[in-house]
Amino acid sequence: MLMGIILLASCKGTPEVPTQFETLDVKATIFPDYTDIVIPANIAPLNFMVKDTLCTAVVAQFQGKGDNVVAGSYGTEGKVVIDSIAWRKLLNDNRGCEIVANVYVQHGDSWVKYNSHKLTVAQEDIDPYLSYRLIEPGFELYRQLGLYQRNLTNFNVHTIYENNRTYDEKNNHCINCHNYQNYSSKNFLFHVRANHGGTMIIENGKAKKVQLKDSTIITSGVYPSWHPRLNMIAFSTNKTGQTFHLYHKEMIEVIDEASDLLLYDVDKNEIRHILRTRGQLETFPCWTPDGKQLYYCSADISNGVDLNQTDSVLTAYIITHYDSIRYNLMKLDFDEKTLQFSEPQTVIDCAAMGKSVTVPRVSPDGKYLLYTLGDYGQFHIWHKSSDLWIKNLETGDEYPLTESNSPDIDSFHSWSSNGRWFVFSSRRDDGNYSRPYIAYFDKEGHSRKAFMLPQEDPEHSILLLKSYNVPELTKDAVEISSTDLRNCIYNTDGEKAKYVKN
Amino acid sequence: MTFFSTHFLSVKRNLCKFVHQLYIKMSKKKTNTPLKANARTTKQVESKTPRKPFLIPVLPALFVAVWAWATFYYGDVFRITRENSFWVSDTREMNFILNQDYGIIRYVGRMLLMLFRYPWLGGLCLAFMATLCTWFTSIIFGFKSQWRWISLLPVGIYLLSICYAGLNIYFERETGMVLGIPVTIVAILGILALLRWLFSRTNVLKLLFIPDDESPLGNRLQLLGIIVIVGLSIGYVQWKQPYVRVINKMIRQTIEQDWYGVEETARAHADMSNRPMAAFYAIALVHTNQIADRLYDIRLDYDTLNVTGWDKTYNNGNSIYISDCSYHGGFVQTAYHNCMERAVMSGFTIHGMEIMTKCALMRSEWELANKYLRILRDVPFEGQFYKKYKKMVYNAELVNSDPEMAHIRLLEPIHDSFESVYQQPVFLGYNLRLYEGRSVNALYNSLAVCLYTKVMPDFMSRLEPIAGQTPPENVMDGILLMSNKNPNLLKAFNGLDFRMNRLSNYMNEIKPYMADRPGNARKLFNKYKGYYPYYYFFGNLRATKKREPETSTSSSGVN
Repeated sequence: MLMGIILLASCKGTPEVPTQFETLDVKATIFPDYTDIVIPANIAPLNFMVKDTLCTAVVAQFQGKGDNVVAGSYGTEGKVVIDSIAWRKLLNDNRGCEIVANVYVQHGDSWVKYNSHKLTVAQEDIDPYLSYRLIEPGFELYRQLGLYQRNLTNFNVHTIYENNRTYDEKNNHCINCHNYQNYSSKNFLFHVRANHGGTMIIENGKAKKVQLKDSTIITSGVYPSWHPRLNMIAFSTNKTGQTFHLYHKEMIEVIDEASDLLLYDVDKNEIRHILRTRGQLETFPCWTPDGKQLYYCSADISNGVDLNQTDSVLTAYIITHYDSIRYNLMKLDFDEKTLQFSEPQTVIDCAAMGKSVTVPRVSPDGKYLLYTLGDYGQFHIWHKSSDLWIKNLETGDEYPLTESNSPDIDSFHSWSSNGRWFVFSSRRDDGNYSRPYIAYFDKEGHSRKAFMLPQEDPEHSILLLKSYNVPELTKDAVEISSTDLRNCIYNTDGEKAKYVKN
Repeated sequence: MTFFSTHFLSVKRNLCKFVHQLYIKMSKKKTNTPLKANARTTKQVESKTPRKPFLIPVLPALFVAVWAWATFYYGDVFRITRENSFWVSDTREMNFILNQDYGIIRYVGRMLLMLFRYPWLGGLCLAFMATLCTWFTSIIFGFKSQWRWISLLPVGIYLLSICYAGLNIYFERETGMVLGIPVTIVAILGILALLRWLFSRTNVLKLLFIPDDESPLGNRLQLLGIIVIVGLSIGYVQWKQPYVRVINKMIRQTIEQDWYGVEETARAHADMSNRPMAAFYAIALVHTNQIADRLYDIRLDYDTLNVTGWDKTYNNGNSIYISDCSYHGGFVQTAYHNCMERAVMSGFTIHGMEIMTKCALMRSEWELANKYLRILRDVPFEGQFYKKYKKMVYNAELVNSDPEMAHIRLLEPIHDSFESVYQQPVFLGYNLRLYEGRSVNALYNSLAVCLYTKVMPDFMSRLEPIAGQTPPENVMDGILLMSNKNPNLLKAFNGLDFRMNRLSNYMNEIKPYMADRPGNARKLFNKYKGYYPYYYFFGNLRATKKREPETSTSSSGVN
């Protein structure tokens, strides 16, 4: 009897679109905010929940060309979970068109209809795979973390690699800085830190570990950028420290005490300095799509401190002046034949603007440069002032992507291979946990309102106690298995790269 | 020779006879005698027996004993183990547990642990498992009455293991195993018992109360077994790790914001000295505005605790109290930082998430508070917390009018700086260098920390704002101690004259003990308990103690 009642209650199904309702002259407050956005036709269903304290049932009706799609649920949670097949058809039927979403909420016995919102389906698809690291928005310590790849056309998640799940003094290790060559998962890399440390280079499904540390190099390779055609990777090498605020809107400052740029030849296993300076802090290298230029960020500390002082004096200076160290956008020309770089050229003098730039990423067509601008420093994923900016490399115009930015942290970004989409991590929802946001970028160089990576359960990102880190879009799926990666990480020491003097 | 061989044969015969009897006794061999005949025999025996022996049902007695033990004696330990755990029914949220080895055991164990929100309820569960375990063991092995006490052994081993673990029951341990292991054992024994019953078809239900074959001796042996198990576990805790219950009681009282209860508990065990106890006592004193008056009512020499970390090596156990101290000391950001670091290493806990919620509310990070509250809403028995703090989201006025948070607000720093600037832990280091505070409470905290760390120049430099007033007791004693070097101090404060004589007498009395201060500290404690000059000369003599190893931070990096 009891089971029967439970079964009956659970089989209530989806409410029907009400025929009688009151109209409210406001748009529904939904989470994630999927109102009036531009979406790719190949995106998974944008499931959401209505924030309405009186809600006892919800139904959403999506109207466009072809059949309407209706989804909804009973209960106070107000969740709208859309059927994948119907959604796929709806989006394909409406490519380049608008879909109207009507949201009806039941308040007790009566229904109300909120103002409709629009979903514009873009002509261009987004690269279907999104790689990211999941880690607690912890500050210093790490334990269990992993690299994952999400299929954006559905909700499937593939584990690229996870470290040890339980504490193991001899095997604890961190993984970070995954990077792909040319929007493809065929060739990619990531670092392993602490036990089993090294840089994992994966080429055509085969993994090898290398050791990039040399006595002349500050640490090892850190932020990478794989040359689009050559089998070469530019790295920054950073001596990074972090410190925690006691009473501040920011929680943490991650500060580079020293940094240089490196070039690693994968085939020859050779590493050399691109830039090795004491008064400049160079970081975040990024190749242009043609591979002829290398953008990077650099802060000049030579004006504030005597560079002949010891490292500890320099470090103390940097820490005490953390909020006045600003990074400029720089570039080097690269000769593929001689493998020589030009002298550094300033692209944007951010310090003069009282701003600081990080993470330059050139669009696949080479016309635009997307970067993060904050008030100071280089670790903008913890700076509330950070926003996404664009530089038109043809006209030289620089402007913020206001439509996509938020009052909170908007940082680490990655282009889709067609240049019409980009994904970035944002802490806009609660200021602490970063989530991937996707935004459309039109041919005129303007972006649209960003939307959160859709999840099967719209509440997923609230219940998840980890942050999405370093979102990277790719055209194809990672082929190598996590077991093969584990074997390589655990069972090989990694060949030491040969240091070559310039 | 003949004598010896005859004697040897006789011994051998007796031994064989004894072993045979023992075998018959221990193996509950089913006779082929029909049931009716058995009943008749019983009746005959009954009719011949002048008095029915008084037998106590063993399993109900065990149930009551384990329940009482888990509720009244070890309840706080289980409660705090539960607060250091986390469980929701949603398997996606619990995936971090389920994807580990024996994840389902951890999951079920954590689920049952939630019952210890109310120790009487968790105690019922534990007592039920103990009873089942003993019952199933009896069925499987089919012991005869006088050997049935053996089936109490699994319960005894469990209780003693829990007591032996002490704080390690939850400190950097998988809390799911505390009840996960026993529930698994019960399940396995249950299956074996079922199989045994299917083959034997004996009336096993009678074992739950007074079995037919229960002899007075067997009954007494089993009851004695229960007494021994409970007695040994209590005895072990009281003898070896008496601080475990005290610390956990104080943590529970802190969670319940029962500040006077915390103080009472600490003072009732003033002789016991460990850092967690001192920390929670100090927190209570901060909330009752007595931090500069009563800190030295307990011994502050810090005996070594039996605490090991994830790496199974000695751990100073700081993380038991550090986030609480940061939070109640007004370092809201640091408290959040502490909680997050602990969550990264040991997983999110109910207590940690509750502190993080409060920190988020105090920092007006409403959506972050909402996130944690949403998660806590699904944790069994956390409805009260959810309701109380959900109201505060987007309501700064309500946050600031909450008595606990309002008090903490008074202690918040005025200016920002980095944690790394200060001696660790920050709640001590910051107060040693406090130059500006929001309230007189902040000043008293700072003075108390200076006195505690015996950094007297810093103490002296902070006295000016209270010149002309009657300072708190410990502060007065600190001033008097320093007045030898600076006699003008005596004129600058009220109420010192009354304490001057006591100090003079004290200084005379301790002269013979000064040669061996570490050795004499305990002798003098009860006489001078609560008196700052005693602490100044005899308390917390770190120099005489072995340096505690630092907690490993090998798993750290920029994330």
